[in-house]
Amino acid sequence: MPKFLHTADWQMGRAFSRFETEDGAALVEARFESIERIARLANEHRCDAILVAGDVFDAQTVADRTIRRVFNATKEFTGPWVMLPGNHDAALAESVWTRAKRLGAVPGNVHLALEPGTVNLEPQGLAILCAPLTQRNTYIDLTESLNTWETAEGLVRVGLAHGSVQGLLPDEIDSANPISPNRAETARLDYLALGDWHGTRQIDERTWYSGTPEPERFRNNDAGYALIVNVPGRGEPPDITAVETARYQWHQWREILAVESDLDQLLERLQALPEPSVVDLRLEGSVTLAGEEKLINALSVAEARFRSIRCDRSGLQLEPTDDDIAALKADGYVGEVIEDLRARQQDDNAEAARDALAILAGLLKDRKQEVSE
Amino acid sequence: MKLRRLQVEQLRQFRQPFVIDDLQPGLNLIHGPNESGKSTLVRAIRAAFFERYRTSSVDDLRPWGDSAAAPTITLDFEARQKSWHLVKSFLQRKRCDLTVDSTSYSEDEAEEKLSELLGFQFSAKGVSKPEHWGVPGLLWVEQGTGQNIEQAVEHAGDHLKSALNSLVGEVASTGGDELVEQVRARWNELFTPTGKPRGDYQKLEKERQEHQQQIDELQARVQKYQEQVDRLGKLTQDYQRTQRERPWEEAERQLEQARERYRQVEKLEQLQAQEKETLTHLQSSQQLLRQNQEQLESLNTKLDVRKAELNRSQRDLEQAEAQSPSIASSVQQAKAAYESAARQVHQARLGETRSRLERDLRRLDQQNQALTANVKKARQYQQEVEHAREQTRQNQIDAHAVKALKETEHHLKEASIRSQAIATRLTWQLEPGAELALDNEALEGQGEKQLLEEARLVVPGIGKLGITPGGEDLASTRRKLFTLEQNFSEQLQKLGVDSTQQAERRLTAYEAAERALQHTRELLKSVAPMGLDQLLVEQKETQSQLLNAKTELHDSPAPEPGRQHQAVDVGSAEAARTRAETRLAEAEAEERKHQTELLTRRQTRDNAEAEWRQLQDEVQNPERQKQLQSLSKELAQIQQKQTRLEATVQAREQEIKHAHPAILKQDIERYQRSISNLRQSQEERQRELRDIQVRLEAWGAEGLEEQLSNKTAELEQCSRRYQELHRRAQALDLLLNLLTEKRQALTRRLQAPLQKHLDHYVSLLFPQATLEVDEHLRPGTFTRGTELGKIAELSFGAREQMGLISRLAYADLLREAGRPTLVILDDTLVHSDTDRLDDMKRILFDAANRHQILLFTCHPENWSDLGVPPRDIQAMKEQVPRPLQKTYR
Repeated sequence: MPKFLHTADWQMGRAFSRFETEDGAALVEARFESIERIARLANEHRCDAILVAGDVFDAQTVADRTIRRVFNATKEFTGPWVMLPGNHDAALAESVWTRAKRLGAVPGNVHLALEPGTVNLEPQGLAILCAPLTQRNTYIDLTESLNTWETAEGLVRVGLAHGSVQGLLPDEIDSANPISPNRAETARLDYLALGDWHGTRQIDERTWYSGTPEPERFRNNDAGYALIVNVPGRGEPPDITAVETARYQWHQWREILAVESDLDQLLERLQALPEPSVVDLRLEGSVTLAGEEKLINALSVAEARFRSIRCDRSGLQLEPTDDDIAALKADGYVGEVIEDLRARQQDDNAEAARDALAILAGLLKDRKQEVSE
Repeated sequence: MKLRRLQVEQLRQFRQPFVIDDLQPGLNLIHGPNESGKSTLVRAIRAAFFERYRTSSVDDLRPWGDSAAAPTITLDFEARQKSWHLVKSFLQRKRCDLTVDSTSYSEDEAEEKLSELLGFQFSAKGVSKPEHWGVPGLLWVEQGTGQNIEQAVEHAGDHLKSALNSLVGEVASTGGDELVEQVRARWNELFTPTGKPRGDYQKLEKERQEHQQQIDELQARVQKYQEQVDRLGKLTQDYQRTQRERPWEEAERQLEQARERYRQVEKLEQLQAQEKETLTHLQSSQQLLRQNQEQLESLNTKLDVRKAELNRSQRDLEQAEAQSPSIASSVQQAKAAYESAARQVHQARLGETRSRLERDLRRLDQQNQALTANVKKARQYQQEVEHAREQTRQNQIDAHAVKALKETEHHLKEASIRSQAIATRLTWQLEPGAELALDNEALEGQGEKQLLEEARLVVPGIGKLGITPGGEDLASTRRKLFTLEQNFSEQLQKLGVDSTQQAERRLTAYEAAERALQHTRELLKSVAPMGLDQLLVEQKETQSQLLNAKTELHDSPAPEPGRQHQAVDVGSAEAARTRAETRLAEAEAEERKHQTELLTRRQTRDNAEAEWRQLQDEVQNPERQKQLQSLSKELAQIQQKQTRLEATVQAREQEIKHAHPAILKQDIERYQRSISNLRQSQEERQRELRDIQVRLEAWGAEGLEEQLSNKTAELEQCSRRYQELHRRAQALDLLLNLLTEKRQALTRRLQAPLQKHLDHYVSLLFPQATLEVDEHLRPGTFTRGTELGKIAELSFGAREQMGLISRLAYADLLREAGRPTLVILDDTLVHSDTDRLDDMKRILFDAANRHQILLFTCHPENWSDLGVPPRDIQAMKEQVPRPLQKTYR
């Protein structure tokens, strides 16, 4: 009754360019932690093995340090690991794997499936049929040969592959490295562990994408899980449990502010998010000067709370109310300028007009404060 | 504002109170010489307003040396429909009192009232400076500063603007300019004055580029790395496959086969070469034999040739011989022609000689006849000469003597006539037979005698009569006559004649003989110039020549009869002979040539004959016949052998050709090369594999892609920051532009009223000219016709005029806005010419309708036509009414 943990797409060595340096570093760190977490979870769930379905590394030439750290992070689980090269870390003539070997970084319990073939884990009752990528991209189904591989009687047949299941995933997914949707059946597999799709996704009863253990993009696709797969016996349907592995939740919100309450609602939702969040906001519509001030204050607070928050307000118009303008005490030609800028927010160069209005309002407000002082 | 009265006291040279009152609402002309106090009065007015009463910085107001003085100024004026009375004292008594209608103000309060009324500021410390003067600074012009208007306008700026605001009804935005400056300051943080990015904005852009460059480099290296990895993969595959397949072994086997085949072919080739050599030998001996045969056979041909040659030479000889008679006859003919020509020449010469002799004969004959005639004539002439000479000799007489004789006779006649005239005439008529004797001379018949001397007449018979002629000259005449008579007779004697007539006859005969002699001599000379003897000699000679010629002619052969008529001249005869000679020479040469030819041909024929004969003997030799037969046999044998050999050689040649020895050789080379190539490329693969492995290990250790990923992150961060700044820059740029634009639009609206007043004055001064007001309300661009420029570029005089009309325009503007205006001009327009000054006077007069103008000058004569009475400071000093001074204290 073998039980194993299925994970994939660690993408180690990736930098997070869209964040500030400090935040990016924290997110990278979180990915190392997620490996440790996986090892712990495997122990907790008494797994016999951990299968990593490709893209352990984000690139072939990651730093030596990254390589060592990845393998170091596996040390808590002392059972067998089977790591499969994916499209980012394909088993080329010279690859991150050959380097890892040269560095002597690969522990004895980690099997690197650098060539197509079966990794027999007899003590665990598992035969892992590996279809590694030996080129960066292929356009033939590498799992085809799994159909013909024979395994010892009594061993649970588990396929391990990396690529796109044909016809099921959205078209935008790279159609390289195709995998037949009924491979589990044709290859008589008890389970087919797949990698490449970063969200957790079931293809059929026996075929799953585990997804990446730590989200690294905003696209909301159920990332941040590992799968505990329990195969009761040869030929029997597997029992799959998704366990959470992510440290950070990634949220991307596109909001249109029409009335004042929209802003309040948005701020409440923001307030409700847990602290280890990565937030990306894009606001459109319009906001009053007072609203803008409130928004900026809220963002300032959020910046301190969350791992990262970014807010794109270039589509958000500033609509000073008459009260706003009265409060700014802008008379004469300055008043004309404000009117002009309000009108210009409808033009092509709306962003500049919006920013200009904000700057002007800021200056006028400062002056007002000076005067009142 | 109208100033009515001004009083100063203890102020500079006005130690005593000095008053100007009754100031007019319009123009006031106040004059006085230098040092009379004009400028002091102006200074006093300024001090009354601008200087703080409590200031200690107005020592210049103090009269010289009077430390106890309290300079005091009292002003009465009307403004805002109220009556103002201001008394201000400095230094020793610091006070300021102001009464407006009935309300009194003092000290600071009073001063604030004044500054508010006129629009100026007080100096916080020390003496008041131009920047404090505000509106009065613009309207009160100090001596020599009329042209400097820009500063003054700037200092009065806020007041002018507020005046304009109140006129236009616009709000110039509270602190708008300050706001503009703030925006500009922020803009300046991002941009250079020319609008180029600066500071972080610029740095980020550069950094972005640097990052991008590093990324590009890294990407290139990553790509290189990946290419190397691919290369490594392919190489490994190739190497392993090659190592498995060992393709060079197959090549080695093929090489061995090719070598074996080649060895066989080589053997064949050797054999072939041997047989070919034999064949060559055969061919050469065959050739030799054939040559012999040919040689032998060729003798017949040669014989034929020689026979033909012999025949031809024989023919040639005969031809030549046939030509011989004709050539000989032509020589003969030429000879005959030549001889006849020679004869012709001889005959011609002969004829010529005879005709010459005949001509000589004729000539000599004539000559002889002429000479004979001449001799005859000469003989005759000779006789005549002799005769003439005889005649001459006979009648020889001296022509001069004859002439002298004639003269003497003449003189004698004259003398005798004269003597007869004076002589006593004795006439007588005697009876026949009667005789008288006079001095022994018997007188008979009748006669007459002149008596010059005493004479005695004997009358026979009677006695003697003495006659003595009287008269004085008688004696001398008688003497002279006597002398003459003596001379005459001597001469006659000498000449041997009896009378003059005889002498003359003889002379005539002599002269005729002389002439005859001359004539005959000439004649003789004409026939015998060298004398008769010579002539005779000549005659003799001629005669002998004649004789000779005759003999010669006689001796010369007579011309052939019948030929005479040809009359061929020697020249043409000789030419003909020369021609004949040439022809003869030619004919002879031809003959010689022919003879040579003949000889040559004969020789040739003989040679040809000999050769032919020799060869014929040879040909007919029986030994040769035998030789020929044996040769034919030998040849046939060789031919047979050769044919056999050729067949084998050709067959073998085919064999060799089919074996392609060259290709076989190439195959061997190819296989050898292939083997070496295969081994080498495998070795190279191995080497490259090692190299790439090493290289990739090194590069891999650098973590290129991770670096790239990090670098990309840095670039994105940099770009984000840049974008933020860029957005801010765009926004600031837009904001600044808008603010500036709006502000300018406002300024333009504000400028309009001022421009209106300015235009009014400019048109008076310079028709067709314009003066634009700039955004700071300063007079800016000046245009006149095609001229265009700034005020500052005009001449001093024009600048001063412009300054003044600008100030008047400001005054109009202020007045329109309900502000008090007072114009004070201290000795202004001194640099204007008369015409301009006239225009300026019109302008001032016009302005005085609206403003009170105080015009101080030291040149009252310049302003006499201003239409106001001048006021003399000097005169006023005299009339200071003392009591009044107390009234205003």
